Amino acid sequence: MKHSVVSLTINGAERQMLVAPGSTLIDVLRESQGLTGTRRGCEQGACGTCTVLVDGKTAMSCMLPVETIEGAHVETIEGLTPPQGLHPIQEAFLQGFATQCGFCTSGMIMVAAALLAKNPNPSREDVVRAISGNICRCTGYEAIIDAILDAAVRIRSAAHAEAA
Amino acid sequence: MLQTVAMPGSVPEAQRFLSNLEGAIILAGGTVVMPVLNYGTDAFTSLVSLRKAGLSGISVETGKTTIGAATTLTELEDEKALAFLHPALDTIASPTIRNMATAGGNLFVKQPYGDLTVCLIALGAAATIAGAKGERIEPVEQTVSSGVKAGEIVTQVSFAMPAKDAFKFTKATRKAFNSAAIVTVAAVVVLEGGVVSSARIALGGVAKTPVRATSVEKALTGKLFDRAHVEAAAKEALKDIDPADDAYASAWYRARVTPVHVRRALLGE
Repeated sequence: MKHSVVSLTINGAERQMLVAPGSTLIDVLRESQGLTGTRRGCEQGACGTCTVLVDGKTAMSCMLPVETIEGAHVETIEGLTPPQGLHPIQEAFLQGFATQCGFCTSGMIMVAAALLAKNPNPSREDVVRAISGNICRCTGYEAIIDAILDAAVRIRSAAHAEAA
Repeated sequence: MLQTVAMPGSVPEAQRFLSNLEGAIILAGGTVVMPVLNYGTDAFTSLVSLRKAGLSGISVETGKTTIGAATTLTELEDEKALAFLHPALDTIASPTIRNMATAGGNLFVKQPYGDLTVCLIALGAAATIAGAKGERIEPVEQTVSSGVKAGEIVTQVSFAMPAKDAFKFTKATRKAFNSAAIVTVAAVVVLEGGVVSSARIALGGVAKTPVRATSVEKALTGKLFDRAHVEAAAKEALKDIDPADDAYASAWYRARVTPVHVRRALLGE
């Protein structure tokens, strides 16, 4: 078994890592990079809790061998979180009681971040579609959908305030 | 346990890896292969990734649309010239899976998945397959029913653009989003003066692979395209299907509702 060196930009920082064949992105994030905010769930692509952004698009990190994404830009929940305080999506989840056990939360927030980057003013149906690959086993979907819609308002008004 | 993940930069290189590496399997988007690997019961020892083999991209030219096998479903959704496929793509899994899953991979997923393939069969699409002795081109429905040989790679699919409003699609599901098919119907129906001059209809979720509904096509061709004729032709679908029980629906239910959904797809109900 031959290990290989893979380079990734993770949360803005270039990283090189020695990986065993077939190591998945979640293996690397959690085991060698210490980024445990990304959760390991079903490993079957069914639950979405391991969702991160790869080159700006959501991807399930349990299904990506890192050798195949050499050079990619990866963003995790740690990268989304600002140095001080919380991201508006995180604020909205916190204030809207949209976390219950919290296991699905980082995946939900990454999916929400991708949605709001593409569509700053989503309809409720857009939000439901966006999170349709993410399971909340506490079944707290309504609060999560409300929080993402609230986050959209927060981000728009912050952008508005900045412009003014 | 995996020994190698090969990253060929071209199709010939991918073919060399496939023939030289023991226990090698093609990896496209990974949404089918990786769950199997993660489960840990497989016998694969090598992955040959198509991600950098130059198989991504869509070309829309007059008369012919070509989709590279490694093109993701999201890339298809983002292609304005393929807007007619949007309602079908929107029913496939979740946006995140569509960011990963590929057009070529969709040909090989188990039923009741593979709705893009149902569309491709209705469109009369052809698959280009690279093998040891060069390339061959065959109808997608043949690739789907007989598979490909070890070492062969589907490199692209191509089809003629359907006339405006000729493409029909419906998918009966258990949930609004991210649900496998109870039954999927895709069709290209061409009318001349209100009469069906040609019809290609494909069904998903109701047999071991996506299938052509040739009995419906035969019953419909030459008939007035009205509710009575469409309803009568849709009932013929029972001759074309061999549904199975799964977690989504029973075989009995699938057979019961297939003619209804064929009618609804054709009439846009």
